[in-house]
Amino acid sequence: MAEKFTIPIGPQHPALKEPGHFEFMVDGEIITGASVRLGYVHRGIEKAAEGRNWTQDIYLLERICGICSHVHALAFCLGVEQLAGVSAPPRAQAIRVLIAELERIHSHFLWLGVAAHEAGFDTLFMYAWRDRETVMDALETFTGNRVNYSANLLGGVKCDVTPDIASQIYRAVDNLEERTRHYLNVITSDDSLAERTRGVGVMTPEQADQLGVMGPTARASGVMRDIRVVAPYAAYTDFPIQPVTETAGDLQARFIVRLSELFESYRLIRSILDHLPAGDLKTRMPRRVKAGETISRVEAPRGELFYFIRSNGTDMPDRVKVRTPTLCNLASVLTLVIGRQIADIPMILVGIDPCFSCNDRAVSLVDNKGERRWTWEALRQYGIDYYRRWR
Amino acid sequence: MNWASILKEITVWARTNSPWVIHFNSGSCNGCDIEILATLTPRFDLERLGVRLEGSPRHADILICTGAVTRQARDSLRLIYEQMPEPKFVIAVGSCALSGGVFQGCYNVIGSIDRVIPVDVYIPGCPPRPQAIVNGILTLLERLQERERIS
Amino acid sequence: MTLEAARDLLRAWTQTAQTPEANRLDIVVTAGDLLAAVDALKTSRWGYLSAITGLDHGREMPSLEVLYHFCSDAAIVTLRVSAPRENPSVPSICHLIPCAVVFERELAEMFGITVVGIPDADRLFLPDDWDETVYPLRKDAKLE
Repeated sequence: MAEKFTIPIGPQHPALKEPGHFEFMVDGEIITGASVRLGYVHRGIEKAAEGRNWTQDIYLLERICGICSHVHALAFCLGVEQLAGVSAPPRAQAIRVLIAELERIHSHFLWLGVAAHEAGFDTLFMYAWRDRETVMDALETFTGNRVNYSANLLGGVKCDVTPDIASQIYRAVDNLEERTRHYLNVITSDDSLAERTRGVGVMTPEQADQLGVMGPTARASGVMRDIRVVAPYAAYTDFPIQPVTETAGDLQARFIVRLSELFESYRLIRSILDHLPAGDLKTRMPRRVKAGETISRVEAPRGELFYFIRSNGTDMPDRVKVRTPTLCNLASVLTLVIGRQIADIPMILVGIDPCFSCNDRAVSLVDNKGERRWTWEALRQYGIDYYRRWR
Repeated sequence: MNWASILKEITVWARTNSPWVIHFNSGSCNGCDIEILATLTPRFDLERLGVRLEGSPRHADILICTGAVTRQARDSLRLIYEQMPEPKFVIAVGSCALSGGVFQGCYNVIGSIDRVIPVDVYIPGCPPRPQAIVNGILTLLERLQERERIS
Repeated sequence: MTLEAARDLLRAWTQTAQTPEANRLDIVVTAGDLLAAVDALKTSRWGYLSAITGLDHGREMPSLEVLYHFCSDAAIVTLRVSAPRENPSVPSICHLIPCAVVFERELAEMFGITVVGIPDADRLFLPDDWDETVYPLRKDAKLE
């Protein structure tokens, strides 16, 4: 008997994911079809970008996402600099990468907490977010803000590394490296967590490639998609990243990749601080940017962030196209869930680290008896209870 | 009365009255939402003040709201507010909730929360720090306490 | 895989080819040849579809443009297809690349381009009560 579920995306826990909804067709426990509707956070940013100048657009674009704000601004600035034929000075490029990696750390710790909550492990959530405060403090000391660092300028950066700032960052990285080792151990050795993650939501390398997934989700299936490695930008050319992949392609692998790649971030941050190029923080940028088209790709915590920018030679862009990694990863979920069970939906979704914010929306279950309502919280609990039954 | 004793009074009141808070994101980038969530984690620990996060509007006293209100979110926002029993209060968090922030004038964006529902406390910032959010909630609780004392 | 390899693969359907940046190859194809070109890239496993961009070059121009961006490491191949402004239409590539559905839905609602054969014609970002005749990313869109 076929039924239709409409499920709001995102955990019910406040302050997290953007509202949207998936619609699932189910037959008993098994999913037979899926589609998605986004738009609750659609603010018309691409259009707005055409009506503001290049500098104003940095402030607009860095607010597309509060979790990965820096990489948005970075992708945009690198693109505009490409169009203008300008290169930011080496010190600035290194600082851009430094902040990008600090942002990746905060984002992965945030995700670890959220994912833990989704699986019913609230203690792990609290610990992860407590540890995250270490990197938040470092970012605040460095850039002046905990969120929306606003460090990028066209042609360079605004903030510099002082000995005190460097010292705080070194300490933060030492502390977080130890904590990351601990969490990696928890993920791989805790039985109940393993039950929710091992063998769940498996994506073969073939599937990952065909489905167009990106970032840690792809790397967990052995597909080496990481812009920092395959198409290095900013200071990644001078400070290269070693690729981190897993082969199991299951949820547990997605946990392992995100935690393991943090060790590369810690190594890179130390390396940059040890060898920070001297020199200017900024170079001159023309107000009007040469006409042309460019593509700028950077590795956000969730995967490849794609910017297409077109200039008509004026002080405002003709077109700014932003394709976020979550859009691709979400599309993959539509195919991935077919044939899987309802109880696995929350963890499969959280495994792609969807960049959403949360909203308590009712789930509509439409069957031939009429409409029933579920909440995301109920679905999450359903998943938790389902796996408890098997113990 | 000094700040410490005011804080103590409010804390006692809050613990006895335990206001239930419901959170709604009307189209925010998440920045404010993650700082709101941070207030519930051990470092800032809003829950020690007796404030409790609730899932259903029908049991909530306070609506804490972020975002510049997209068209899709507007009706849900109104609905949640209507479902809350009296007395009810609204806290708008972040520049977008106050004025639309950097998204003022964008299509699909209504603008400030108070274009849709009445707001009692505004917490500015992009995003406001967790301490500012806690301060805003305390301000509201203070107001609630005033109301109780008068009645 | 290299840009040279892509150039060879797509030769049969290339109207014009340009290298606007060292790592980029732009190939203009007709809407009629789009599926064949995409299939060629897919069969040879040349990269992956990273994004689809719609362009409106201005009211004076008779056509809109749709860009299909394929990435292989640092190399980017963009297939460029023109669509007449009055009745713009492109074929869906979803049966070749299923994840393209979200890109095509966005293209359709933002530019008013008909994507023929799209498996899901539902709006992606715009609300249900959005005026059907208003395409936000067109240069002449009337927005409040």
